[in-house]
Amino acid sequence: MKHIKIISSVLVLLVLAISCNSDKSKASNDALAVYQCPMLCEGAKFYDEAGSCPVCKMDLKQIEKASKEMETDEISEESIFNLMSKWHTEEGKEIQLEDLKGKTLVVVMIYTSCKAACPRLVADMRNIEAQIPDEKLKDLTFALVSIDPETDTPERLKAFAIENQMDDEQWTFLHGTESGVREFANVLSVKYKEISPIDFSHSNIISVFNAKGELKHQQEGLGVDNKETIETILQLIQ
Amino acid sequence: MQILTKNQIKMKKRNIISCGALLIMILFMSCKDNNQKKEVSTTDMPISREMKAELTSPPNVPRSVGRRKAKKLIVNMEILEEEGELTDGVKYVYWTFGGSVPGSFIRTRVGDEVEFTLSNHPDNKLPHNIDLHAVTGPGGGAESSFVAPGHEKTFSFKTLNPGLYVYHCATAPVGMHIANGMYGLILVEPAGGLPQVDKEYYIMQGDFYTKGKNGERGLQPFDMQKAVDENADYVVFNGSVNALTGDNAITAKVGETVRLFVGNGGPNLVSSFHVIGEIFDKVHVEGGDTVNENVQTTLIPAGGAAIVEFRVDVPGTFILVDHSIFRAFNKGALGMLKVEGEEDKRIYSGEIREGIYLPEGPGIQNMPTTDEVVESEIPAKSFDEQMKFGKQTYMQTCFACHQAEGQGIPNAFPPLANSDYLNADVERAIDVVVNGLSGEITVNGEKYNSVMTKQLLSSEDVANVLTYVYNSWGNSGKVVTKEMVEKVKNK
Amino acid sequence: MKTKVFSLLLICFVCQYLTYGQTEDMVLIEGSRYIPLYGRDSTVVEVNDFKMDKYPVTVEDFELFVKESPKWRKSNAIKLFTDKTYLSNWKNDLESKDSVKSKSPITYVSWFAAKAYCECQNKRLPTVDEWEYVAMADETTKDARIKPTYNEQILSWYEAPRTNENIIGETPKNVWGVYDLHGLVWEWTLDFNSVLITGESRKDVDKDSNLFCGSAAVNATDLMNYAAFMRYAIRGSLKAKYSMKNLGFRCVQDVKTESE
Repeated sequence: MKHIKIISSVLVLLVLAISCNSDKSKASNDALAVYQCPMLCEGAKFYDEAGSCPVCKMDLKQIEKASKEMETDEISEESIFNLMSKWHTEEGKEIQLEDLKGKTLVVVMIYTSCKAACPRLVADMRNIEAQIPDEKLKDLTFALVSIDPETDTPERLKAFAIENQMDDEQWTFLHGTESGVREFANVLSVKYKEISPIDFSHSNIISVFNAKGELKHQQEGLGVDNKETIETILQLIQ
Repeated sequence: MQILTKNQIKMKKRNIISCGALLIMILFMSCKDNNQKKEVSTTDMPISREMKAELTSPPNVPRSVGRRKAKKLIVNMEILEEEGELTDGVKYVYWTFGGSVPGSFIRTRVGDEVEFTLSNHPDNKLPHNIDLHAVTGPGGGAESSFVAPGHEKTFSFKTLNPGLYVYHCATAPVGMHIANGMYGLILVEPAGGLPQVDKEYYIMQGDFYTKGKNGERGLQPFDMQKAVDENADYVVFNGSVNALTGDNAITAKVGETVRLFVGNGGPNLVSSFHVIGEIFDKVHVEGGDTVNENVQTTLIPAGGAAIVEFRVDVPGTFILVDHSIFRAFNKGALGMLKVEGEEDKRIYSGEIREGIYLPEGPGIQNMPTTDEVVESEIPAKSFDEQMKFGKQTYMQTCFACHQAEGQGIPNAFPPLANSDYLNADVERAIDVVVNGLSGEITVNGEKYNSVMTKQLLSSEDVANVLTYVYNSWGNSGKVVTKEMVEKVKNK
Repeated sequence: MKTKVFSLLLICFVCQYLTYGQTEDMVLIEGSRYIPLYGRDSTVVEVNDFKMDKYPVTVEDFELFVKESPKWRKSNAIKLFTDKTYLSNWKNDLESKDSVKSKSPITYVSWFAAKAYCECQNKRLPTVDEWEYVAMADETTKDARIKPTYNEQILSWYEAPRTNENIIGETPKNVWGVYDLHGLVWEWTLDFNSVLITGESRKDVDKDSNLFCGSAAVNATDLMNYAAFMRYAIRGSLKAKYSMKNLGFRCVQDVKTESE
């Protein structure tokens, strides 16, 4: 009986110790929060601890992180935002890929005069979009990049978007230079070849990038089971 | 001592009977369970833990799977393009799986989930992939394993059917990749493994096509046109002419059972596989479940395989061949199995005795008594005619003992070819033909002690036949005239 | 961000200035129409006039390039554009290993690096059609593909080991005056990823409409041109960030005035 008492008290102590540890870790999490001068006296500079701004003497304000991993402005080595190519959206706006930073990206390469696979690829994209809960859609961008920049001008892309009821916020169509498109395709390992002035052969790949532009998942083929793709997207936009 | 009442005895008996009945029921039930277990299809077979596959170079094979359960099997295969020797003095650039032709032997069990990693060495020039006939899946794995030099690809497949299967590269042009040696065998053993034997070996036949002819020295490039025409320069076992001969022969001891895993990489030719001096006790036809027995020669299709088993009963060297026989003796489809041990004269006695068998020729042979001679009616007028007539005489009179190329018969009749005895003394040679010879002589270092009867030939004929002999087979080239013969005759 | 773009432009100006002399080592290729191994719908392609480097880019050329463009040095090159084998035969950021000859072709470079080098000189990588067009010539004929010796010679090179260690200019120049298209190393092309081969070559003759969208067949035109088959196979197996021991490149320049 004595033994039981000793053992049980030891157990209780252990449990407490462990939970205390977790409390400690919570505290250290808070310690990771960053502080910045509300007047931005020193520009974007931030501090690890609370205190006062050395310039204007105001109390430093704790910053709420915009998204989970965006503490720094650095683009990682694997991010597609390293590409310097220039693009136009279907609205005619000129952007660089980096402008798409901050949202999970689902990308496919198509061309509008495609009769064979592209309608199915577009359907696959729509299928994926349908399976994302509405409130999460604001964290997603669905990008359709044209491999035929000569024919698919921004105006044509806009017409295509309207025709296919893809004119909402989350859909973006991109028009680039031949060199920019070839480079982008190579990053995605998408192969394509012009067969005739309005006909291309290309691989059918849907790619998913996280908010930092790093490639996380690819789905190859038409009408393929998109379970894994959806899972990856949902994980990324949490 | 306990005295059992009648009732107690009855009870005891009942107990025993009911216990026995229970036991029997239990046995039956467990037997039933075993039967049910056997009916799990291979697609659903579960795997337990993982294991790294042991890959071996020919002619050796990895150990049997024995009674192990289906596992996750990890196979790492490397592709190397390297120069090797096709036969003496003939070099060839082989493209290999695992550094050997054929490629490494892969041994699996039915139901294994094989995680296959194909690595293409950075020094290689070309991309490759692999198609394993044991794979159920598109391309046999070829689609998922296309890999550039300096990179590797991994894919996984489950072995659903037992059997012996070929694997090969399937990158365009496929025929060229296979012809350069990119093939091998993968064995999928049934549950429990194949029955045990004493020796197991791995042999694979292939045809090779080179720019130069068979035997032409130097580094030979591949010849696409000959391959398209299916005109092979070399047909070999295990990648080169001497891969299984001499010191490289496979071995066994008398009384052992031998199992050969024989594949045919092709690319074109079908094999008629035979072991000279042995009969296959069992042949797993085409590597599948059907077993044929007592087979002399079995067909192995290009891109196919067979398993042959036999017991070796007597010692000796047994030659493995493709019985499309010109391939064996003129193109290299020849291997050796050397068996050591005690002889068994009942099964094979070897040579029991030898003797002389001489069909009589048209020449008259007598002991030297008469002087009868038949003069030839048309004398030879020139050296060429002497040679012609002399040859005719030779073939009629001398051939039976001294043979067609003058080689004689060892221990019986001395050679005339390159004969020191002949070339030393012309007059003595004429004398032998005209008067005969008996007693011991030494020719080319060998002793002969026999009798040659005198030949009843005209002087013309003697002159012609001796001229023919002296001008054939490396002899000194003298010309013998009728006068020289007459001189000897009149001595 | 802005500084990145600025520094990139600055680097390009500098190297363009330094490597201006490189345009001297080019020859003019007159364009024409021909049928390549994997062609377009009507199988004939048209190649415009362009200038091509006589020799592939050498190790010493590339050493100059990385001196001016730190972005492409071995330790700086980013994972998006290169993999672990990038410049793996270099002993440090600026120099190749001593065993590597400076006039041998540069290898172990990725497509992105090759593209950047060419763009820095106001040139670009050749397209597959342009490259194949110049490569089908031998010493005397512009289209030597019908000659059996032409194919044989190339196939025998594919079996010769370690040709990447040779220096440039040792194989005979072809009728255009271009050296080393065969017999030295494979070469990057601008649109190598237009080769839609899955690697399952027995199916590649069938348009695999699930993996590749193509309403026209992408069939090979000449099944006996094994040398070309192998070049297309190599292109089909590559990804843009790969580098290989036997893969180098050369640049070309459009003859019309540069725009865009």
